[in-house]
Amino acid sequence: MELLAVLLPLAQEEAEEGGNGGLEILLPPTNELIAGIIAFAVVFFFVWRWAVPAINRALEQRQAAIAGQIEEAEKAKAEAESLRSDYRSQLDQARAEANRIIEEARETAEQVRADIVAKAEEEANQIREKAREEAAAEKSRALAEARSQVGDISVDLAEKIVGESLDAEAHQSLIDRYLADLERL
Amino acid sequence: MDQLIIAVEECAYETEPVCAPADVAELFVYTETLWNTPITRTIFLMGLAALIVMVLLYLAYRQPRLVPTKFQAMVDSVVQFVREDVSIGIIGPEGVKYFPYLLSIFLFILVGNLFEITPLVNFPITSRMAIPAFLAIVTWFIFVIIGFAKNGFGYLADVVWPRAVPVVLRPLVGVIEFFSIFFIRPFSLAVRLFANMVAGHVMLSILLVTGFVFVTNIGEIPLKGSFGFLWFALGIGIFVFEILVAVLQAYIFTLLSAVYIQTSVHPEH
Repeated sequence: MELLAVLLPLAQEEAEEGGNGGLEILLPPTNELIAGIIAFAVVFFFVWRWAVPAINRALEQRQAAIAGQIEEAEKAKAEAESLRSDYRSQLDQARAEANRIIEEARETAEQVRADIVAKAEEEANQIREKAREEAAAEKSRALAEARSQVGDISVDLAEKIVGESLDAEAHQSLIDRYLADLERL
Repeated sequence: MDQLIIAVEECAYETEPVCAPADVAELFVYTETLWNTPITRTIFLMGLAALIVMVLLYLAYRQPRLVPTKFQAMVDSVVQFVREDVSIGIIGPEGVKYFPYLLSIFLFILVGNLFEITPLVNFPITSRMAIPAFLAIVTWFIFVIIGFAKNGFGYLADVVWPRAVPVVLRPLVGVIEFFSIFFIRPFSLAVRLFANMVAGHVMLSILLVTGFVFVTNIGEIPLKGSFGFLWFALGIGIFVFEILVAVLQAYIFTLLSAVYIQTSVHPEH
């Protein structure tokens, strides 16, 4: 608008002087108009028939590539996820297996220990029993021997003291009494 | 440019702080032809701009790689910006249909604008009315045809009798809308681009040429000549600024074309 303010008086001046400049600026000369139309038409035709399809192709290519990459990444992610869960389940299995083995070993050891202890106890009992039996047998044997020897000695002793043989009945009762006394000792 | 340098050298160094040519229009009227053909410099540059746009696209999309090269990524980011943010972003999902047109105008105008600051070219073809006017008229045809094709006569009825506005205001708003849509839109679209590029081109030409002439004549006019450095520095600053303007104006033209098409596709908005 400012320019018009400058140009219009200028044009009037020109007109007054009889020149044909000034407004000529605002009206395109025919040759330039034709050249401009042709130049733009060529550009438009090129853009419309070649450039825009090429631009769209490039765009689609890029979109397809990006979509493919995303899909691939998702696939890889899913694969990794399944691998991870595989590994985790394997790890869990291995851990459970290890626990089972340890548990078994502990049970076995416990068993072995109990067996050994039981056996040892049994053996100890057997030894003790045997010792007791032996002692008892020894005792009764010694007692029987002592009884017969004491009887003989007593009879001998009594014969010697009394100097005469006692009747059989008195004899026997004497021995028994003596033995009873002896047992009380 | 030679005319301009002559004009500047002819001016009175002692009295004028900035040397402007007597006729600014001279900067934009090219009548010389190249190689004895009807091709003027502007026509040649239009063809060159078309060629550059096509070569850029061809090189970027000839063999698109999945991992793009730097060049491909650069072109692709511009293309995707027009596709996603302008075509689909403004018009909606069906904006893809208008993507070829929007991409063509964006790249063609962008290259045409950038000629302003391209060394050895230094002339934006969009500072001639031909391209802005033609493209604005094409955009106008597109949105008017789409408006009628999508909504039938209701398109025109909605414009002149806007039901979103209170009844008393409808005739007034209707008239304003009618002129705004069918007459002002193409005119403002073309003039906005054209005027921006003309202004940038005039500023750059005057500052850089004045600076150049002053500095090269510093022996004769020491005080005035040293001003040449200032004009030159200013010219360089505006040179950088014009890169922004070139990109921005191409963007605005494309964006407004998309917005106009969108209002025809969905007139209720």
